[in-house]
Amino acid sequence: MTAATRAPSAARPRPAARRPGLPTLRLLRLELRHNAMAWLLPVVFALFWLVTYRKTMAMPPLWNVRAASLQTGIVADFAVPVTGAAAWMGSREARRRITDQVMITARSRWERLLVTWAATAIWAMLAYLGCLAAGYGVTAHQASGGGPLWWPAAVAAACVLLFCAVGFVAGAFLPSRFTAPLVAIAAFFVLALSTEPIHGSQSSWQVSPIVTGPWDAGVQAGVATFYPFQPDLSIAQVMFLAGLTVALLGVLALPAGSVGRALRAVAASCTVAGLLAAGTAVGLTGTGSMDAQGMLDIPALHDAAGDRPLAFTPVCGRTAIPVCLNPAYAAYLPATASALAPLLGELAGLPGAPARIVQEPVAYQQATGNSVALQLPRPAVSGPPVLPLVLPDQLGQPAMTAAQQANQVVTTYGPDLVADVIGDGHGASQAQNAVATGLMMAAGLRRLDVYQLPAGHAIPGRQPPTAPGGPDASRSPDVAPGTPAYAAAERFAALPSAVRHAWLGQHLAALRAGQLTLAQLP
Amino acid sequence: MNVEITGLTRRFGSVAAVAGVDLRLGPGVFGLLGPNGAGKTSLLRIMATAMRPSSGSLRLLGRDPGSYGPRCEIRRRLGYLPQNPGYYPGFTVAEYVEYFALLKEVPSARIRVAVATAIDRVALGDRGKARLRTLSGGMLRRASIAQAIVNEPEVLLLDEPTAGLDPEQRVAFRALLRDLGQRATVVVSTHLVEDVAAACAQVALMDRGRIVFAGTPDELAARGDGQGAGDTPLERGYSAVLAQARS
Repeated sequence: MTAATRAPSAARPRPAARRPGLPTLRLLRLELRHNAMAWLLPVVFALFWLVTYRKTMAMPPLWNVRAASLQTGIVADFAVPVTGAAAWMGSREARRRITDQVMITARSRWERLLVTWAATAIWAMLAYLGCLAAGYGVTAHQASGGGPLWWPAAVAAACVLLFCAVGFVAGAFLPSRFTAPLVAIAAFFVLALSTEPIHGSQSSWQVSPIVTGPWDAGVQAGVATFYPFQPDLSIAQVMFLAGLTVALLGVLALPAGSVGRALRAVAASCTVAGLLAAGTAVGLTGTGSMDAQGMLDIPALHDAAGDRPLAFTPVCGRTAIPVCLNPAYAAYLPATASALAPLLGELAGLPGAPARIVQEPVAYQQATGNSVALQLPRPAVSGPPVLPLVLPDQLGQPAMTAAQQANQVVTTYGPDLVADVIGDGHGASQAQNAVATGLMMAAGLRRLDVYQLPAGHAIPGRQPPTAPGGPDASRSPDVAPGTPAYAAAERFAALPSAVRHAWLGQHLAALRAGQLTLAQLP
Repeated sequence: MNVEITGLTRRFGSVAAVAGVDLRLGPGVFGLLGPNGAGKTSLLRIMATAMRPSSGSLRLLGRDPGSYGPRCEIRRRLGYLPQNPGYYPGFTVAEYVEYFALLKEVPSARIRVAVATAIDRVALGDRGKARLRTLSGGMLRRASIAQAIVNEPEVLLLDEPTAGLDPEQRVAFRALLRDLGQRATVVVSTHLVEDVAAACAQVALMDRGRIVFAGTPDELAARGDGQGAGDTPLERGYSAVLAQARS
C-alpha cells in the first residue's frame, strides 16, 4: 500500500554558509567541561607526586638526570589513568546509547570523535605540563649548570597523546564499561614489558618511551654534562609515538559512514603515513649504537656537531691544590674540596703532586650483551700535572649526598695521590710506607668511619685501599700497629705540618729512591 | 514531497522488518501505528539515515541519502527522537540541546536562540541549567524532544514521543506537534491512538513490515464500525484493519 500526505513541501531559506571553526571550538568547550580525564587529574597528580616527583627530586640537580627520570616516571604514571579515561570517553556514545541520535547529525563521526579525543588529550596534556613544570621548575632552582632538556619532555608529551589515542580507539571500537579498565591495565603492562627484549645498544626496542638512553647504560649523571645532549633516540621515539597516534586517529575514520570518501582517503593516508613513520623510527633505533659519551647515536639522525665537548668554566675550590668541577656539579664542590683539603695541604708543592684536580667525563663502551665498560680519564701526558677526577655520580651509582660523595672521593683518590708523591706501593721501602701512612694520618684519614662507603660504592679502577670492615684503610698492608713502621708513621704524623712539609721537600727524592730507612725519618 | 519512499525493504537475516513500503509525505503530522514488531522503528531509523535499506528507494528533502554529501545536507534538516533516547547525565539541559545544535551544524549566531527556543517549546525553560541526571523520566523525554527540534527540522521523526509524559504534557506536546506540522513533515510512531487522533492529519498502520492501511484518522475509525475491539472508534478501526490484514 502507498501512503501519502497531501500538503506540498514548503521551501525554507537555509543558511548560505557556515563557519566551521567556531562551532568546533564550542563543541570542544562542551567536551572539555564533561571529560572524564578532568576527574582523574587528582589521581594523576597524586601518582606523580608519590611515584616520580619525590624520587626525581632526590636525585642530583643535574638536568639530564632529572629530565630522564621525569620522562620515564611521567610516562609510567600517566599510562593507566590517561588510557583509561580516553577509553571511557571513546566508548561514551555506545555506553550512553546515544549513537543513533549523534549518528544522524550532519557532523561526521570522525570529526565528532576527534573533538572528544582532543578534549581528553588537552586535559591530559595540561596535567602533564603541570607535572613537568613542577619537576623542571624545582630543578631550575637547584641546578647550578646547564639548562632544561626539551627532547625528553617532548617524548613524554608524545607518549601521553598516544595513550589518549590508544584508549580512545579501543573505547570507540570495543565499547563496553570494561574496556577502560582492561585497556588501561594492558597499556601499563605493555609499557612495563617493552624493555624486556632489549639486548645491547642496537636494539630496536629502545624506541620504548620509558627508555631515555642506551638501555644498558641507564641514566648516567655524567652523560650530557660534558657533551651536549644527543636527541637521536628522543627524535626516533617522538617519531614512533606521533606516528602511532596519527595512525590510530586515522583508523577512527575508516568504518563505513564515518566520513565522506575524500576525508576517508585522507584518514587512510594518515594511517598509512603514521604507520610508516612508526616503522621507520623502530628501524632507525635499531641502527643506533652507544657512543663514547654514553648516548645513543643513530647515524641517520645524528648531528656530528653535538660530539664536541661543551665549553665551560670549571668551578674551583680554594684548596692548596685547586679542586675544579664542572659547574653542573657546583653543589658538590664545597664538600669535595673540604674533604680533600687536609691531604692536598700536605702534598701541595711537592714534586709529583698535581697542580690541579679537575673533574673529567668517563668514556663509555658497549661490551657484550647488556654490559657497558666505563673508561676512566687518564692524566695528561704533557703540560702541568692534572689529576682527572670522576665523581661517583658520574658512574650511575645509587644517589648519594654530597658528603658521601666527598668521602668516597677521598677514599679512592687519597691513597693514589699520596702514592704518586711518595712512591708508595709494591716494592716500596718501609720508610715510604711509613711516610705515606703518616701523611694519611695527618690528613685525618686514619679512622675507618670517616670514609666508610655505602655497600657497592666504588669507583672502578680506583679501589679504596681496603673494604669496609677490614683493617685501617689509611695504611699500607705492612704498616701494622706495633711495628716500627707504624710507630714511625705516628711520629711523622705528629710533626707540625710545616716541619713535615719542609722535611719532605728536602728528602722526597731520596725517599722515592728507597734510600732512606725508618731510622732516618724525623 | 519531503519524504519519498518506494519499495523500501530492510531485512535482518531472513526476517523482513520492512517489506516493500511506499510512502510520500509532505508537511503535516503523520501517524505511524502498528503492533510491536511491525517494523515502525526500523522504518523510522531508515528514514533518519541511521540504517540503510536492503532494497528500494528513499529520497528525503529531494535528495538521496545514499551519498555522503546529500546525506549530510539532509541531516542538517532532520530531527530524530529514538524510542529509547540516550543522554549524557553530566550535561545540563541547555548543554545537551546545544551539543546537538552544534552537531547538526546550526549556524553559530543562531545557536543560543535556537537552544532557548527548543527548551521553551518543551516547557523546560526553568530547568535549563539542571543536569540531566537530576531530571525525571518525563523531563528527560522532553529534553530529548528539544534536541530533536533544535535545528527546526523539515523532517522530524519521533518514535514513541509521548511515552512517559504526564497527561498535561501530552496535551501540550500534541499542540507542539500540530505547530511543527505547519512547516515540517512530522512522522510520529506510537502505540497511543489518542495521540494520532489528536495530532495527526494522516495515519498509516503497519503490520509485519508492510503498510496495511493509509488514510486519515477518521477513515481508520470508520473501518472499525461494527467490528474490531477497543474502547474508541480509532482503536476499533485499528484492530479491525489488523484482523483483516492477518486473515
